[in-house]
Amino acid sequence: MEQNIIETDILIIGGGTAGCLAAVEVRERFPNLRVTIMEKAHIDRSGCLAGGMNAINAYLNPGETPESFVKYVRFDSCGLIREDLVLSMSELFEYCVKKVEKWGLPILCDEKGNYIPRGRWNIKINGESLKPIIAKAAKNAGTKVLNWVVASNYLVVDGRVAGAVGFSVRNGNMFVVKAKATIIATGGAAGVYKPNNAHDAQHKTWYCPYNTGAGYAMGIRAGAEMTSFEMRYIGLRVKDTIAPTGTIALGVGAPQINSKGEKFMATKYAHIGGDGAPTPYRSHGPLQEIKEGRGPVYLDTRHITSQQARDLKSAFLDMYPSMVLYWAANEIDPSKEPVEVQTTEPYIVGGHTQSGYWVDVNRKTTLDGLYAAGDVAGGAPYKFVSGCWAEGVIAAKQAGEYAQKNDFAEIQASLVHEEQDRAFAPLLSFTNKKDGIKAYDMEVRLQKIMEEYAGGAATYYEVNEERLLVARRRLATLPDQFKHIIAEDLHELMKAHEVIDRVYVAQTLVEHMLYRKETRWPGYCTRTDYTERNDEKWLNFVNSRRDPDTGDIEMLTRPYVQIVPGDRYKPR
Amino acid sequence: MPVIIHADKCNGCHGSNNPPCIRMCPGDLLMKDSKTGKILMRDPAECWDCLPCVKVCPQEAIEFRLSYQLGFHTARLIPHIHDTRDFITWELIDTKGGIDKFTIRTKILPIELDEKVEGVAAVDFSI
Repeated sequence: MEQNIIETDILIIGGGTAGCLAAVEVRERFPNLRVTIMEKAHIDRSGCLAGGMNAINAYLNPGETPESFVKYVRFDSCGLIREDLVLSMSELFEYCVKKVEKWGLPILCDEKGNYIPRGRWNIKINGESLKPIIAKAAKNAGTKVLNWVVASNYLVVDGRVAGAVGFSVRNGNMFVVKAKATIIATGGAAGVYKPNNAHDAQHKTWYCPYNTGAGYAMGIRAGAEMTSFEMRYIGLRVKDTIAPTGTIALGVGAPQINSKGEKFMATKYAHIGGDGAPTPYRSHGPLQEIKEGRGPVYLDTRHITSQQARDLKSAFLDMYPSMVLYWAANEIDPSKEPVEVQTTEPYIVGGHTQSGYWVDVNRKTTLDGLYAAGDVAGGAPYKFVSGCWAEGVIAAKQAGEYAQKNDFAEIQASLVHEEQDRAFAPLLSFTNKKDGIKAYDMEVRLQKIMEEYAGGAATYYEVNEERLLVARRRLATLPDQFKHIIAEDLHELMKAHEVIDRVYVAQTLVEHMLYRKETRWPGYCTRTDYTERNDEKWLNFVNSRRDPDTGDIEMLTRPYVQIVPGDRYKPR
Repeated sequence: MPVIIHADKCNGCHGSNNPPCIRMCPGDLLMKDSKTGKILMRDPAECWDCLPCVKVCPQEAIEFRLSYQLGFHTARLIPHIHDTRDFITWELIDTKGGIDKFTIRTKILPIELDEKVEGVAAVDFSI
């Protein structure tokens, strides 16, 4: 086994939206610090932005302030967010957007040179090449990039994260990266639940299917405190393609209608904003229509002109090209018929919802030397692209200061050997035994348990105590089965770790859903045994910490702190 | 079968060990056939339909197809990158052969045909 030992001042795990901005920021603020990105794919097109983006969805358009943004995000997340985190990221939207524009991102402007809004917090971009643009900036800043190195675990020395270990999917080398400070930016987790489409379209998901919760799992295994996993993200998306609906709903103003043509959001949810209700209700509303026999549900686009339909297609080509081919392949003209929608498989993310590491305002996790940014960081929903950039910038500043003050930790060889054995076990198992479980087999098993007992789409995402306890019991067997996983090649070895990581995420998720005995976010996590929101008991964060020695998951709550005054259930 | 590789058009980027399409796939799904030197799709079911491989291929040898369960034959969507690299024209062909074109501003960065991989090639895990 070839071992590459690398020393770097700052290690960034995950070269995506947050990671690239973090790399640039470290190099600009601390030119003396060496920065290394560990990336499982190639940073030019890895992660959520691979296909592109057509809008920046968290931006302070003229007249808006960080405080007005906090009010809106608080409303959208049903009254519970980390206001300190949301404030600090929104203060950096302008800085980040201007920076990326300078690197070459085309942003649509009017004749006076002002950005063109698409909704209250959105501006339009031509972001087909957004990912290569920010990757180039990271490389130009002098970052060392380890492409195709899959991070498998942190190097933890006396409670401090002192780097990480990974393996290359290209040559099977092991990489031991010793770092003074580490930034985790691996994104969230898809594929925990049964996907919307099956067979050769199983990865036709909205969230990047290659974001498989590695950062969550590494933190869970190391005993980091995690927050709000129970706020799963279940988005309203275009039927079959699972394409984002914001492009349509915000782009051309399309209300939801049921099969009877009734604008049910506008009537039944008028008291919380109708079609502008908090995001979970925009999934909950149509689910109730379908459940009660008034499906399918659509976004009504029949009022748009053929030119608007063309503009809609152009916007999708910048971000989600398969949407346009789908319409052509099914003879659908969105200006003549409404666009059918559905809800997604549940995703665990910190950028739309707020599942992830419990961090302080500096994005420091509960593990010494470890900072978190982007989808992997919790407590701050509504981040989207620009919020992930902002968190990368904040984490970079703090990680840089930590690295200035602290030296490398002494790493025992036994620690590395232990992880090497764990990481490569599936390859050895294949060589020695041939017979065993393929990653795909365990993935399907995991997804079946989660789908049926932990609130999958088939049960309208509803959960109760009894079902969740079944899920807990079934999941508890999976870690004992890891030793049977076999991998024939390095791609399969990566897949093996992707499913192992998702099992850790799923176990933590089930504990979170069991613990919150209320329904704060209908649609995201509806408890049929506690159907109401309960601010008296549950206006707080549900957090967890897995004991690295025993594997027991301890649950705790952290208080909500209101910083921005006002009614928490009003958008302004 | 979300991405198909037209073997008649693929030239393996002139013996590149690590051609652009392989580098740009976020799912590690494209690989080189050691016998022919051309590109193969590892598993269509793992494809996200994100299209960086399609856009980056200098030969336009990689074509995006919707899984049949999601759309009918023979609708096609083909991106053409302008030589100036600041526009992309998408050619959309519907099931009856009707053609539509969309030209959109972008900023395509130049890309090398090959790139070194970190580490040493110590273990041969090729299949």
